Formats: sequence, structure tokens, C-alpha cells
Amino acid sequence: MTEPTPSTRTLADMAQVIRSKNAGPTQLTIDVFLMDAAGYALAANSPAMSCAAVAARYGIPVQQVQRHLLADIHAIKYVLPRAIVAGSPGDGDVYGAQQHGPMLDIVP
Amino acid sequence: MAMFTARSSTGPCWTSCHEPPGSSQGESRSAQNGVAPVNATARLLQSHRPGDEPLRVLSASGQLGYGIPEDAFRRGMAHAPHVIGCDMGSIDPGPYYLGAGVMAAPESMVERDLELVLCAAREADVPLIIGSAGTAGAGVHLDATLAIVQRIVARRGLRLRLATIRSDIPAAQVVSALHAGALDAIGAIDQPSPDAIEACSHIVGQCGTETFERALALDPDVVIAGRACDTAIFATLPAMLGYPLGLCLHMAKIIECTSLCCRPGGRDAMLAELTLAHFTLASMNPDAHATPASVAAHALYEQADPLQVEEPGGSLMLHDAWYEALDAHRTRVGGARFLPRERPSLKVEGASWLGERVVLLAGVADPVLLRVLPQAIAEVEQRVRTLVAGDWQLFAHVYGQGAVRELAPALQATHEAGLVLEFIAPQAALARTAAGVFKQNLLHHAYPGRIATGGNLAFAFTPSEIDAQSAYRFVLYHVMRDAPLDMLFPVAATDLDGRSHH
Repeated sequence: MTEPTPSTRTLADMAQVIRSKNAGPTQLTIDVFLMDAAGYALAANSPAMSCAAVAARYGIPVQQVQRHLLADIHAIKYVLPRAIVAGSPGDGDVYGAQQHGPMLDIVP
Repeated sequence: MAMFTARSSTGPCWTSCHEPPGSSQGESRSAQNGVAPVNATARLLQSHRPGDEPLRVLSASGQLGYGIPEDAFRRGMAHAPHVIGCDMGSIDPGPYYLGAGVMAAPESMVERDLELVLCAAREADVPLIIGSAGTAGAGVHLDATLAIVQRIVARRGLRLRLATIRSDIPAAQVVSALHAGALDAIGAIDQPSPDAIEACSHIVGQCGTETFERALALDPDVVIAGRACDTAIFATLPAMLGYPLGLCLHMAKIIECTSLCCRPGGRDAMLAELTLAHFTLASMNPDAHATPASVAAHALYEQADPLQVEEPGGSLMLHDAWYEALDAHRTRVGGARFLPRERPSLKVEGASWLGERVVLLAGVADPVLLRVLPQAIAEVEQRVRTLVAGDWQLFAHVYGQGAVRELAPALQATHEAGLVLEFIAPQAALARTAAGVFKQNLLHHAYPGRIATGGNLAFAFTPSEIDAQSAYRFVLYHVMRDAPLDMLFPVAATDLDGRSHH
């Protein structure tokens, strides 16, 4: 097996699923499923996929982002607080299902 | 933490049930002391021995009321399930349904789905368990669901013993927990004031297996619960039969969304075959395959922690869970453990009324206006406030310019954008007035650099300001520690006989 090498491919190119969804009305989860072990290793080890980098993309402090690495299923999960409790006035996404955009053009 | 003992449900009624077995009007089919139980739950509890054959649990619906796919459900029934479960609700659709006390799903489709599962369960004479009745699971949702059930029972001439679980939590109980320091926010939601808790129109708790066990002890054919943990719907009867609670809850956690755990995911019925060591998952849609990867991935869905799921009486630990393919269509799962907690905790949800909502819908396609749109809206708001007095609020959603999530200026649309202007006021008439006056003032607002003087808005139809029901917000999405689980959820049973109406 060869070491993963840096590439210019975006996460959208490398992943089979990138999705966001509420975990209850106060939290947002972002799930990234890579294609295979090599893609997972590249993404999981990339500074561009760190909690700090993802926090910066979503404009929130790094302490507010949790990350779960699930090597067995080539998945990386992030948990973020919602800016507005789901469905309160000013919310633009009650289900939190369209908040994955900032992940798509990450280059791991 | 309730104790699960195999085949124990024929004992006397639990102290907190409102209506003991046998007390109902009409001809009782319920268990009596010294008489063999005749209803579906007790029959299953007495006849099924773990180890003899797998327990077949059919999940018919993850969101009852949106059209259960009938062919997959019928295929599931052909497997002779021992128990059928349906999830009927969620907090996902937002605070309106809990706050206003209405169902999210269209009532006629709820009736169609309920009729499908009720008739099938009675024909097969197996327990049917439904949780989170009427979307949000407050008493008003449960009652609306029960009214539909009674219509179906009468129309189809069904006879059944029905157990119900009420999930409303008194505000005073939550206020006490707040004062005792036993109310913890889940995620980013403010700690409410006692007044804010009292102002909730409905507060519900997510009852767990402990509560379903009390309802099942009433020997029902059908259980319909208010707000419930999705897992408890499917896990309680297996646990009462003696299957390990960790396995039962893990199975429940996966099948409560029916075939969503498959590839491709879908809404078709899902069958689990449970043994003492593992369970096997199969979609009843032959083209939706449960693979180890698709099933394991499902643990991430809508879940903050993919390896630990919190239940009222403890935690489901998935750290040692394993998934193996049985064939191309089915996956076998094992290894989950249940870690009881000493002091039970309960998820509570509450919503309160904010005002009446009117929305104004319009499009903008002028490049000059699109560059100054937020400013134009702010200026018009100022003017309208001088014309329409009162406590109305405006929330502007500018689609194309960051309504869904913040957009960098370079990405904001300059060719066309959609406006959803949301007006909330204590009275609908005031919200309507603000929206109407705002529409006309924005239509003819003289923003800097304007060259299109015919009108600033494109309406797809008129009236373009539309009553949009009441506005609510979640006040509670909290954990109540040390909740007295056996006191909070009244269970009751009644015998329904649709044949007496014919």
C-alpha cells in the first residue's frame, strides 16, 4: 500500500457522501463518507479537515466543533452548534439539510 | 432502570395505570387473574422462547402518515413477524407542530397508513406498537391519532385492546427540575426562565423502554404512545422476552428509519431477525440492500455521537458493534452493549407561541437593486414603522443572497433573487397590515441609481402576502435528570370493538 499523497482534488471529488442534518434542533452534524481507505487516510490526516479548519469555514470557534473519525467505514463526522435553534425566527434551514456547502471545495 | 424479565407481563396491573385490564366497558378480551391471556402481547410473551427461533420484528414506517410503501410492507407481513412497529413522529419538522398541537402529516394519509398497519396486525394477530403519535406526541396529537384509530376500528369492524401512553410533562415538573439544577440544555439552547417554561403550549418527554413495558403489561394488541424514544417502540417487547437490551436497542435504532440504512436508502419496511447473539437486517424492498457499510454508516445519521446513544435508563454503547454480510441483501449485526445509569434522565421538548406569521413572496431581477437589496429592505422597514405602529417583527430571507447560509459577497446573486419576508406580530391583522404596506413601499422604493421605475418586485401570483399560521419556537430541548419515569407517563388500556357499530 502506498502512502497517500497530497492532491488538488476537492472533498466533493473524493467523497461518496457529504451531508448535513440536524442532530436535534440545537446541533448540526456533517457526515463525510470517503470512497475507500486511502481517501479516508488522506482526509483524516489533512490539516484542511481538522476541527480548526472546519470551524473557520463555518465561522465558529474551534472549541465548538467535535470530530469523530470512523476508519472502519471511511467516515468523518463533525458536530457543530446551530446558530439559531431549528425553526426559531431567522432560521433558514429547519432540518439543517443544506449546510454542507462549505465542505465541498476543501482540498484535503 | 426497569428490570426486564422474560414472560412476566401477565401479573397484576401496575400501580400507575389508569385503567386496569378488564375494567373496560363492553365485552372484555383482556387478561384476568387465573385466565389465560387472549391478546397479542401476552400470547407472544408466553409462546416465544429466545433460542428456539429468531424473533422477527417488522418496522413498517419511520414516519407514519406519508404513505407506507404497501408492496414492501406486504412482503414483510409474509415473513410472519412477531411484532410490528411504526415511528410516527420527530422533533425535526420544527416547533410549530409541538406548539400548535397539530400533525405534520396530512390526516387522510395518516388514516390510510394506520388502516394498513392496523388491519394487517389484527389479521396476523401480532402486537402493533406506534410511537410519537401525531408528529410531536403531545396529548392533543395522541388524541387526534386515537380518533383516527377509532374511525378505522368502526369502519373495518376490528376488535382490539389498545394501550396508550401519555407523554405530556407538567410545566411545574420542569420548573422544579430547573430550580433543582437538574435541567441541562442539549446543545445550543438557552436555559429557560420559569415563566418561559410555563408559557410553553405543550411540553413532552421522550418515554423509553421502562414506560412501554408498563403499557405492554396491560396485554394490548396495539400500543400507541405519545412522544417516545424511537428505539423504545421496537426494543421493549424483545427485551421483555429476554433478549439482551443492548442488542434490542441497537436493532431498534437501525430499523426505526425502515430501509434508510440500506443502499439505496428508502422508506420500505425493514425486517430484523433477532437472536440472543445478533440480529439480521433485511429490507423488504428486494432492490435495497443492507450492507455492513450502509448499516454501520446509518449509526451516524442525525446522531451527535455515533458510538453512544442516550436512553432514559442508560446508554447504548456501539464501540464493539460488528457488522457482517450474510449475503448481498442482508447484514448481521452484534456487539452492542447497554450501560444502565443509576439516575434516569429524560429528554424534554417544549415550544411556545411567538405570534402570528404572514409571509410576503416576491422576486427581484434588477441588477442595480440586487446590489443594494439589504439596504433597501432596511430603509423600507424604517418607513413602514412610521406608518404601521405596533409590535411587529420582520425577518428577511433573500434567496440567492444567503438565505440558506451566509454567502460571500462574490457569490451573491446579481441577476435574480427570491424574497421571503416574514412578518410576526401578536395579531394576524397587524402582521397582514405590515406585510401589505411593506409590499407596496418596497415595490416603489426609490433606491440609489434606480433606472427601472415600473416597480421593484415580481409577483408570481397575488395576493403575494400570505397568512402562514402561528409562529412558535422551541423553549425546551433539555435533559431532565432524576426524572421519576414511572410517575410521568400515564398508561391506560381500553377494549375497542368495531363490530358493535355494525
